[in-house]
Amino acid sequence: MPVARELTNLSLSYGGDNVLALAEITAKLKDYNIGLMGASTSVYANRMGGFAGSVKDYQSVLMEYRQAVASNSPMKAAIKQKAHTAFQKMQIQFNNELKVVSGQVKARRGTPLTNANRATNIARSSRNVVKLNVANQIQASNLVKLSKQAKFLGNGLAVIDFGGRVGNIHNSYQAGGNWERDMFIESSSFAASAIAGSLAVKAGLAILMVATPVGWVGLVVGGLAVAGAAATTLIVFNNAVKNKSGDLYDDIMKGISAL
Amino acid sequence: MNIGDLIFATCMGGFFLCMVLYVFFGQITVRKLRKNPATKDKLGLELTSGWDILNVAGALSSPEWLRDRFSTSRFSGLTANYQLLYENTSKFDRVLARVFWFFYVVPVVLMLIFIVLNSFGLFE
Repeated sequence: MPVARELTNLSLSYGGDNVLALAEITAKLKDYNIGLMGASTSVYANRMGGFAGSVKDYQSVLMEYRQAVASNSPMKAAIKQKAHTAFQKMQIQFNNELKVVSGQVKARRGTPLTNANRATNIARSSRNVVKLNVANQIQASNLVKLSKQAKFLGNGLAVIDFGGRVGNIHNSYQAGGNWERDMFIESSSFAASAIAGSLAVKAGLAILMVATPVGWVGLVVGGLAVAGAAATTLIVFNNAVKNKSGDLYDDIMKGISAL
Repeated sequence: MNIGDLIFATCMGGFFLCMVLYVFFGQITVRKLRKNPATKDKLGLELTSGWDILNVAGALSSPEWLRDRFSTSRFSGLTANYQLLYENTSKFDRVLARVFWFFYVVPVVLMLIFIVLNSFGLFE
């Protein structure tokens, strides 16, 4: 089962909550029978949003720790522990992103993003607080490199979608139906919705680039809007082509037999 | 066969041509660019395998004012770098890119118009 293997690969490399998100999206894919691109961008936006959120959490705990040290609060140790926990959570969930983001930094002692001890030390001493601004560090890094993961996921979803369609054709074949006609319908609607969906994503990204939304929230909202528009286009095209292409097949067959 | 069926069939023919051209353009031009160390990291965001083919074709087909807008954007890395592409492609590649882009965009737009008109019951 190539689909099952693909799913296993995806879950192995994406960890807990992302697999749930993926499962939800696969369920939706089955409902609407939609294709690939829109869904892959929405997963991408979700994951990027989650990553940004987790970095922000980490950063705010670090700032809290700094405050606690400055005011010599009795909660110091507890907050330090909290910072380490936030760091660990971020490490586990977004290991790949962190590697990409901190890959260019060659500091021997590490940065707050790669080393929680270093972060809490910087927070405790009165040194430059700018170093603790880890979220900006990520924002500045090369976003495009992260798309390697999106590519993996996009391919996986394409496999899942195509698997479902082949299943429909096979059912029709086993039931003694007109499976050639069903194959024409399934493959033409897959092609049409993939082409239209990819164009919708491209157009959406173009608008996103021209509009240049500010900050992470804008980017995530923009990404979701692109994904939503693409998914809508996919559904609309898929339905339209599914409805019409059966007739087209009949016309073509009639034309061929008239020759 | 009414006019609606004709438009639909034209779109489907366009989609088919688009897929054929996608493969040709990918194999002839983008494959070369992927191997070229000067361009291989500049082909833009890759959401699924082969997305760079769309990026290259789009970059080679978009008008100058849009390219200028894109290149000043913070997210300019999402598209392919036009200047580098221009330096590393032949005239034939660029014509092929535009032909492919035409067959990528026009059938989708035509189909969109068809779907909208059809939803108003114009082709019943």
